Amino acid sequence: MTLTRRHLLGMGAALGGVAALGGWSLWQGRGQSPLLLSARNDDAGRHYCAGYFLDGSRAFATPVAERCHDVARHPFLPLALFVGRRPSRESYLVDLRDGRLLQTVHSQPQRHFYGHAVFHGSGDWLYATENDLSEPGRGVLGRYRLDRQSLQLIHEGEVPTHGVGPHQLAWMPDGESLVVANGGIRTEGSREKTNLDSMAPSLVIMDRQGELLSKETLQHQQSSIRHLAVADDGTVVTGQQYQGEAWESVPLLAVKRPGQPYQPFPVAASQLAMMDQYTASIAIHSRRRQVAMTAPRGNRFFVWDLDTAATLIEVPMADCAGVGVVDDGFAVTSGQGRCRYFGYRDGQQASHWLDLPGGWWDNHLRLG
Amino acid sequence: MRAVYLVLLAVLVSACSNPREEVTVQLANQVLLPAHEQWHGSNGALRVAAEGFCAGELDRPALEQSFYRALQSWSYLQPLMVGPMAEGNRSWQVQFWPDKRNLVARQVEALLDASNPLTPDALESASVVVQGLTAFEYVLFDETVALADSMARYCPLLTGIARHQQALSGSVLAMWEGPEGMLKALTQFPNDRYASADEALASMLRTQITAVDVLKKKLGVPMGRLNNGVPQPWQAEAWRSQHSIGNLQESLAGARALWERVRPLVGDAELVTRIDAAYENTAQKLAGLPDPLVEMVQDKASLPRLKVLYESIDHLENLQQTELARDLGIQIGFNANDGD
Repeated sequence: MTLTRRHLLGMGAALGGVAALGGWSLWQGRGQSPLLLSARNDDAGRHYCAGYFLDGSRAFATPVAERCHDVARHPFLPLALFVGRRPSRESYLVDLRDGRLLQTVHSQPQRHFYGHAVFHGSGDWLYATENDLSEPGRGVLGRYRLDRQSLQLIHEGEVPTHGVGPHQLAWMPDGESLVVANGGIRTEGSREKTNLDSMAPSLVIMDRQGELLSKETLQHQQSSIRHLAVADDGTVVTGQQYQGEAWESVPLLAVKRPGQPYQPFPVAASQLAMMDQYTASIAIHSRRRQVAMTAPRGNRFFVWDLDTAATLIEVPMADCAGVGVVDDGFAVTSGQGRCRYFGYRDGQQASHWLDLPGGWWDNHLRLG
Repeated sequence: MRAVYLVLLAVLVSACSNPREEVTVQLANQVLLPAHEQWHGSNGALRVAAEGFCAGELDRPALEQSFYRALQSWSYLQPLMVGPMAEGNRSWQVQFWPDKRNLVARQVEALLDASNPLTPDALESASVVVQGLTAFEYVLFDETVALADSMARYCPLLTGIARHQQALSGSVLAMWEGPEGMLKALTQFPNDRYASADEALASMLRTQITAVDVLKKKLGVPMGRLNNGVPQPWQAEAWRSQHSIGNLQESLAGARALWERVRPLVGDAELVTRIDAAYENTAQKLAGLPDPLVEMVQDKASLPRLKVLYESIDHLENLQQTELARDLGIQIGFNANDGD
């Protein structure tokens, strides 16, 4: 029998491994308000793995050595991996009930993390995008097994991402194949880009054993594919960062609908101009068929209709960074100002500030 | 009783002056908006001058003066252009810099070859490269353009650019002054853009500090700092009109105007003294340069002087970006500089 995430959630505390994490049901009881997970800094520049309930109360803020990027939430255990930001060699496995650091996961020799990872629905495996420094830029997915007894992630090998500089990855609806954004940029273990004239970005769908299912590219070779989200029906939306001239107008969003080729998502030229060639996070509200995107350089937040591409929300928001789905809308964090809620329903926009600390939120957030 | 207490509290809170909000409102009303108005005004004057010159009613020095004034007000504006002018790639329509591949000259000539005489529609739908002051400067100052002999060819572009600049600055000003405009967003809180005056003040400071960083680039690029020390004189801004240093002075003055208003908010008196000194030092070094930048970067004997100037701007930037930001509790740059 193939277990889906829903099955596992339904089974809840009955699962064997959960015994090692006594108190899970108690912790869940506190979750009347959704838990927002994100990497965050403080005013002094120290790095934290942070968890805040959306009502503003702090669940934890665990100090760590390296700045993290995205967060991989375990499908049913109160665990998440805060993934080291390029070219970090550390990621942090955190107990979401109290913020306890369960493990500092060190990258393998000649590898570093790229900031994104996902847990498989079984809860037993984690896949992280990594750089092969012996062949810089060659993308791999590190495969890590979660040992349920020791609550440690153990490296069990890797598979290629069939491209250069992989960044974000996500599960397709089957829960077995992965969509990976290969950013196309070579970095040699630093943040310096070394191949802007010969970039090769691609959107890859592969199974988790590493077999390539599809590989598609965009027209503009300097359009680095970085971030993505997947709707329930398998529609993938990606956000690009254009490495060419600042004044050029190049598509920064693309969509792959089921059975269709990967192509630009149609947005207005004036909206593209507002993005300053840089997109940070994508989130899809599957039930409402809405796609949200943050553009922190342009200080702009957008929501479009996923099917018609009609603009539902376009607002200024300073250094808007992470975006995630909540109820009927989206929670958006900022590196500089306050966090906000935005919703669009029945032709009406709704917006209010969230009672969360302002500023220093990193590019991505996860809601648990 | 409770209601009375709440009313009293509200009165007390509103009576308490909030120095940061006061400074923010003052900056918006007395510094940022006037800089936008001044820029718009100089574009109007440029349009009148271009039309007068092309009608044979105005001499060339008068047109050059109008061009310099438009360039100056644009340079002054850059550290102060919070909001509409900083968004939507609008600034590229004013100035195309750095022009690494001499696109301005090539695209101007190609446009005029393709559309002679140039129609307003052709200019509006053309690349930003040919719509701004850099293209205007090329026509007016480039050695290869014999303007006096080819007025029919170039005049539609001169007047077209001036009209485009006036329309652009007019539309930006309208976005400031409209009922839900930028001026309101910077003076009445909370609003759709800013949760508080603190956020608005922070965005002003970020714009200003970014502009100081751009000053470094405007000096460092022609000096060859990004080119293994090999000077790149044709990548100086406004090199054709030899106005690079004038631009740097105006931008520094715009940055300083903002700093003057922020100064009273700074708790550390010693830091205030150091930032004041850094502005004064940089201004004096700029004022003391003997030759146009495009010539100085090609003269080995001048390079130490330019290096000292560069370090002076770098010092000013550091003071503001780290110490001033810390003193005021303001975050300068985070995800917008992330590159992930």
